[in-house]
Amino acid sequence: MNKCGMYLGCNIPFRAPDIEQSFYKVFPALGIEVVDMEGATCCPAWGTAPSFDIDTWLAVSGRNITIAEQKNVDIMTGCNSCFGVLSEARHMINHDPERKKTVDKNLGLINRKFQGTSEIYHVSHILYKNVGIEKIKENLTYSLKNLKIAVQPGCHILWPSEVMAVKEKNSFFPTILKELCQALGADAPHYSKLNACCGMGAMRSTDQIRSLGLVKDKLISMQEEIAPDMIVTTCSSCYLQFDGAQKILKEKGEIDFEIPVFYYTQLLALCMGFDPKEVAAISETPRDAIIEKIQSGQRLAN
Amino acid sequence: MGVLNLTKLDKNEIIKKVIEYGGKGITKCIQCNACASVCPVAKAGFPLYGRLLYRKLQTGHFEEIIEDSSSWACQACNRCTEICPQDAKPFEIVFAFRRMQASELAISTSAFTPLMNLHATGHSVYSEASKELRVRVGLKAVPVTSIGDEAAQQEIRTLLDNSPMGELGIF
Repeated sequence: MNKCGMYLGCNIPFRAPDIEQSFYKVFPALGIEVVDMEGATCCPAWGTAPSFDIDTWLAVSGRNITIAEQKNVDIMTGCNSCFGVLSEARHMINHDPERKKTVDKNLGLINRKFQGTSEIYHVSHILYKNVGIEKIKENLTYSLKNLKIAVQPGCHILWPSEVMAVKEKNSFFPTILKELCQALGADAPHYSKLNACCGMGAMRSTDQIRSLGLVKDKLISMQEEIAPDMIVTTCSSCYLQFDGAQKILKEKGEIDFEIPVFYYTQLLALCMGFDPKEVAAISETPRDAIIEKIQSGQRLAN
Repeated sequence: MGVLNLTKLDKNEIIKKVIEYGGKGITKCIQCNACASVCPVAKAGFPLYGRLLYRKLQTGHFEEIIEDSSSWACQACNRCTEICPQDAKPFEIVFAFRRMQASELAISTSAFTPLMNLHATGHSVYSEASKELRVRVGLKAVPVTSIGDEAAQQEIRTLLDNSPMGELGIF
């Protein structure tokens, strides 16, 4: 597979479009054609249709999947939640004939038909499985040697593993993101709360204080155990939580440090020499200093 | 979406409703609470999760817990599904409970704006300010999604208006 339907979701195009730009920069340079999914909507997010009616959830997810099917491509999502919602929906439609009948009826209202021909992947899966660690290494301009990364894989890329096209060997000790970070030359050591939830999503909108409690626990685990130069995630929700919450926690006096945060393809794009003004330009937690360090003459790879 | 008549519901009817709303594993739960050991809702200190929620539902105490907002903090992370020794799929039970709450309009206030956004634009999260951010990083002001596509928006409205959600009067 050398092309993939780019499913954007909501947070990436509207809150962190520098992540979207990083997709358009790194994938073609690594031999993967990014195919637009015109007219795609929200996946739909867990707090919307899935919280009200399963068949409506499957219809909205099914509609999004048909856009890729019409172009004969698989889907890659940048957002973990979208990945989870679409993967679960596809699994349900494919394994429950009654649900499938209802999906067919609902999509018939808008003259669409779910075929089941497009698989759901996450951008990190495409990088890991289709591009591969070696090809990533070959395309680096800058190396992250002697820099330390706290990896944050996020939840919806890991569980429930039953419905996912690509699985970790042990979903409670995930290694894909760690290996992708090591491919850039960085260290990505374990920390005790590596697989814990960051508190974003439904919890953040239901109870901000409790949500911030979870991200604070993770930040302290990272800082005290491995003192990372940066946090790297492949989940746009985790990205927004780690980036935005540090400012709040610092103002409240609950943490006394700041760790720059990147979505993985932003960091990869920086290592490939792309312009930070395009691929890593929007953040609450400052990252100018680490970007300057990454794209410095001393870090030129070979 | 049918409205529950609470006075007429007994234990078996609540279990039937949970199953109807997607929580088909409710009768498999043996109260081991393995789910709670990995649950972010439990870790964050919400009051209603894991075996307590499932027992309340198994014994028909839906009315007692209908207003509790813990279920709306569920991250849908599915750690519980991954480890449940009974394969009860606890996440599906939590979301079935959410749907039962929603059918009674016991909905987290935080759910309304994303729902209305979804109906209006096809996106649950949208901000006009995104246009400036997008242009600043070298992208077109509007992505190729439904946001700038009236036909796509109409498709989503057709799906939502003709669903049980359309009967709740939210849109």
